[in-house]
Amino acid sequence: MTAATSPENGRPASVPVVRGERASKRWGSIEALRDASFEVGRGITGLLGANGAGKTTLLGLILGMHRPDTGSIEVLGRDPWTFGAQVRAVIGYSPEHDCLPPDVSAHDIVRHVAELHGIPAREAQTRASDALYEVGLGEERNRHTGTMSTGQRQRVKLAAAIVHDPALVLLDEPTNGLDPVQREHMLHLIRHIGHDLGLDIVLSSHLLDEVERVSDGVVILDGGQVARHGRLDDLRATAEHELVVEIDGDAATLVVALQERGLAAVANGHVVTVALEGDVVHDVVRDAIAELDLPLRRMEQRRATLEEVFLASSH
Amino acid sequence: MPPATDATDGDARILDAGYRRYAGDRGGVAHAVRSVIATTLRRILGLRRPARSKILPVMSIVFAYLPATVFVGVVALFNRFGDDADARALIPEYSDYYGFIISAIVLFVTFVAPEAVCPDRRSRVLSLYLASPLTRMTYLLAKAASVAAVIGLVTLGPPLLLLLGLALQGEGPDGFLGFVTVLLRIFASGSMLALLFTSVSLGIASLTDRRAIAAAATLLVLVGSHIVAGTLEFGLNAPDESLLVSLLIAPFILVSHIYGETGDFTGLSTTATVTAVLGWAALGTGVAVLRYRSLQVTR
Repeated sequence: MTAATSPENGRPASVPVVRGERASKRWGSIEALRDASFEVGRGITGLLGANGAGKTTLLGLILGMHRPDTGSIEVLGRDPWTFGAQVRAVIGYSPEHDCLPPDVSAHDIVRHVAELHGIPAREAQTRASDALYEVGLGEERNRHTGTMSTGQRQRVKLAAAIVHDPALVLLDEPTNGLDPVQREHMLHLIRHIGHDLGLDIVLSSHLLDEVERVSDGVVILDGGQVARHGRLDDLRATAEHELVVEIDGDAATLVVALQERGLAAVANGHVVTVALEGDVVHDVVRDAIAELDLPLRRMEQRRATLEEVFLASSH
Repeated sequence: MPPATDATDGDARILDAGYRRYAGDRGGVAHAVRSVIATTLRRILGLRRPARSKILPVMSIVFAYLPATVFVGVVALFNRFGDDADARALIPEYSDYYGFIISAIVLFVTFVAPEAVCPDRRSRVLSLYLASPLTRMTYLLAKAASVAAVIGLVTLGPPLLLLLGLALQGEGPDGFLGFVTVLLRIFASGSMLALLFTSVSLGIASLTDRRAIAAAATLLVLVGSHIVAGTLEFGLNAPDESLLVSLLIAPFILVSHIYGETGDFTGLSTTATVTAVLGWAALGTGVAVLRYRSLQVTR
């Protein structure tokens, strides 16, 4: 693999890949997206939300297929509605639904997608093979997609999304219909494409764990509104509000001592969880342990899960 | 990924390039349109597809070109062994040639547009097209161009073959000007037929994602319009203009007008005929455009 890990992709890191500014979109009486303001940065960004939260509508706006009723969307610094052709030329898209003609070979459809995005025919031919090799379908590339398994077809869609070296890849529920092994493989591929090949990815999913496992950032949609957005680590940090203390000894004694000092603490076996309220909690806990002469095994701020971030963000 | 190797033997090197960034030129919308046209032409003509996909296009093309080939062949034989006058008597007028191949044209028209557009919607690959630099309208334009080009194979090609074949046998139009005039008339009438049948068949095919239904509906409209026109004219004694309702009459009357012939329909003015043909074309185009504008791709 050559030159595949360029992290900058020719663009300054300060320019958001996607930026939404109070973007709204209605479908008849349904408000699919409301006042969505967010930024998608470099790397892999999870677009998280329950079914009907507005994820696919947002992807349609990013692709310039729809125009926001109010507000604006910028993709790579451009309005995708006004500059649709230019923006879509550098976007790769894998829709949620099955979208492969069954009587066409994987290579032919991937090559055709490359050509649609402006890659010259001869180059498209080579790149289609390379992209299919990249997703593990090198030997299967001449098979008709109608004879392939769901997992293989999802990988063909992934190859079609990256074949033209896009600046941004949109993956809409890419693990739909996959068994656990195939799902694991797909997540591995997404990580590989995002981190090793250096392509920026927006991964739309309703599955918290898969977004958490591969994403660097997240945009959480809830009922058409952006509930939270940002780097995953930053969001977790804001949710880190507990100190976990593991000791060898009587945890109940420590809980009493901490409560006497005004801290909210609960014990579970040898583990005591203390609410982080203020800057002095670490010092108070340390002093209490020292006073009680308890053997300390571990003391750390609990790492919030994405689920907790999501639940804290949702109504 | 192909096996990595950096083995060297003298000057020979095998490099595993794998997935690479692309820094070359990218074509724009026109490039995408050309790619759609090429892919659609291959699909319609059954190229790189199983043998059964080639049966209908090959059959239609053979039916369309066979009379021209036979005429030219027979004229060549008469020229060699017979009389010039006998040869000339065998040659139909260029405008009459469509009468020999109307069944091939109808057969072609019924399957070309459905084959071009229905599978894209049925397999939902349309969402990949619209995620490219193409818009709904440029996609539709590319499809229309493909369909028109293929239908042109049977509306333009056979009269051209006839003209060239006869000219080579010395039985073509008189003089260079005569040749060019007939050539232009062939292009005008062949293109008109191709564009008309493209718009009508695309309009019908845009309403369903099933090829068989679209093909049957196209045949129904072609034949149905003819039956309606016949009923109006001969059953209800409506004015002669009612014949222009027929998609199997109106365009061929216009062909006669293009060749400056009046034929059997002397009562029908060029204006009325052009209006009827344009009306059908506008109806088909309008249906296709409205359908693709409102088509839900992602939501």
